Amino acid sequence: MSSIAKRGPWGIWKDVIFALFAREIRVGFNDKLGIGWAIIQPVLFIFILSFLRGRLNGGETHGIPTFVFMAFGMVLIQCFLQTFLAGAKAIKKNKALFAFRQVQPISVVLASGLFELLVKIFVSLGMGLMMYFLDLELQLSDPLSLMFYFFSLWLFSLSLGFIVGLVGLYIPEVDKIQNLMTRPLFFISGVFFSLQDFPQEYWWLLDWNPILHAIELSRYAAYPTYGQVGVSSTYLAMSVLTSTFLCLSIYQAYWKKAISR
Amino acid sequence: MISLVNVTKFYKTSLGNKYIFKDLSFDIPIGHNIAILGSNGAGKSTLFRLLAGSEYPNKGKVHCTLNVSWPVALATGIHPEMTGRENTRFIGRVNGVKDLNRYEDRVKRFAELRNNYELPVRTYSSGMRSRLAFACSIAIDFDVYLIDEVTSVGDAGFKRKAKEALLERSKNANVIMVSHDMRDIRQFCDSAIVLHQGELTFYNDLDEGIRKYQAL
Repeated sequence: MSSIAKRGPWGIWKDVIFALFAREIRVGFNDKLGIGWAIIQPVLFIFILSFLRGRLNGGETHGIPTFVFMAFGMVLIQCFLQTFLAGAKAIKKNKALFAFRQVQPISVVLASGLFELLVKIFVSLGMGLMMYFLDLELQLSDPLSLMFYFFSLWLFSLSLGFIVGLVGLYIPEVDKIQNLMTRPLFFISGVFFSLQDFPQEYWWLLDWNPILHAIELSRYAAYPTYGQVGVSSTYLAMSVLTSTFLCLSIYQAYWKKAISR
Repeated sequence: MISLVNVTKFYKTSLGNKYIFKDLSFDIPIGHNIAILGSNGAGKSTLFRLLAGSEYPNKGKVHCTLNVSWPVALATGIHPEMTGRENTRFIGRVNGVKDLNRYEDRVKRFAELRNNYELPVRTYSSGMRSRLAFACSIAIDFDVYLIDEVTSVGDAGFKRKAKEALLERSKNANVIMVSHDMRDIRQFCDSAIVLHQGELTFYNDLDEGIRKYQAL
């Protein structure tokens, strides 16, 4: 008979998240394209978009190559959308696993968030490698800030997804609204334009959006010539702190009820 | 000892709260193989899930000093796209099994899956699935095994094997079981808890319990 190790709460947490994470990797890359598709799809998109915008402005957008400009937008918005969706779906998808008392909803959400993070890191590396081989100029002048913005955006997406997932257990209609809400994000988050393209008196229409801040700040961190206007890292950090705090408090208050329904 | 202390459990429905237990206190005695008997909808599965910690009561507490298995039913935690071995490893990790490789082999041998062990679970028959689920739990050293109808799917040979395994474990482990098949229950259990209208009654003698249950 196999005996069980005595584990403290941290030990259990670690084991469970690792087990779930391994399971996500195993199931997530199940089809033949596997992680390849995660890289190919945004790259295709970027090519088309940067081709279009490149025709308009001659290959350079506010002092950075249009391809790089688009690449930052696409990778980051996809990081947001996919992590958000993964976080929102995780609890429902893994409901059967809560039969194991060691598995708590937060571990499930964390594991699928970590999986998305892993995919996005691979996508970013793949993108950088591709640019290197295509001889596209790529400059990263402040990699630390870039990483900080990337992780902030990831945490922001995951905590928003977590909130939506928790609320969705009580109000199933949230699913439909969530689709409606994520669709326009593609257009208002500065993926194929910069805040600098807009006259300053209309900035208030766009600059409430932390994703826009993350994308613009990342471009600036890579290319200081891009210029950082209308966005602030403090705002981004505060949004992340607020959303994380909110999701953890909702979770703390409702998780036992949530899995007992 | 597993004890329920002032447990209230209800489910919200469109017709208001549907109470399964109201302020229930009960000690489940140790050293018995117990069948939980009750009519449909009496709350057998709910009780089961409360004991396992898969769900939490709305009020009150479930105290448990023993190592209790998860409620072993047909599909719990088994992913159809993963192989039998991968599923076993997942369950082993979650439960904190020390030696995963030995655990995997033990489950393979017990469930008699042979090469199918390396195939995705979606290709399994329901008998094979239940054998896998049962083997995953019996291969771990629990003090109490919670078994929900799983044994009813296996064939006669496997049932015999399952019983032998449980008997062998019964020196320091017990089983709590839900099944509608009285033959199954007679095979595995020696006493019964009858669940009726939110009240639990323990019968030391299984036959007495079954008689009371059938008279309900």
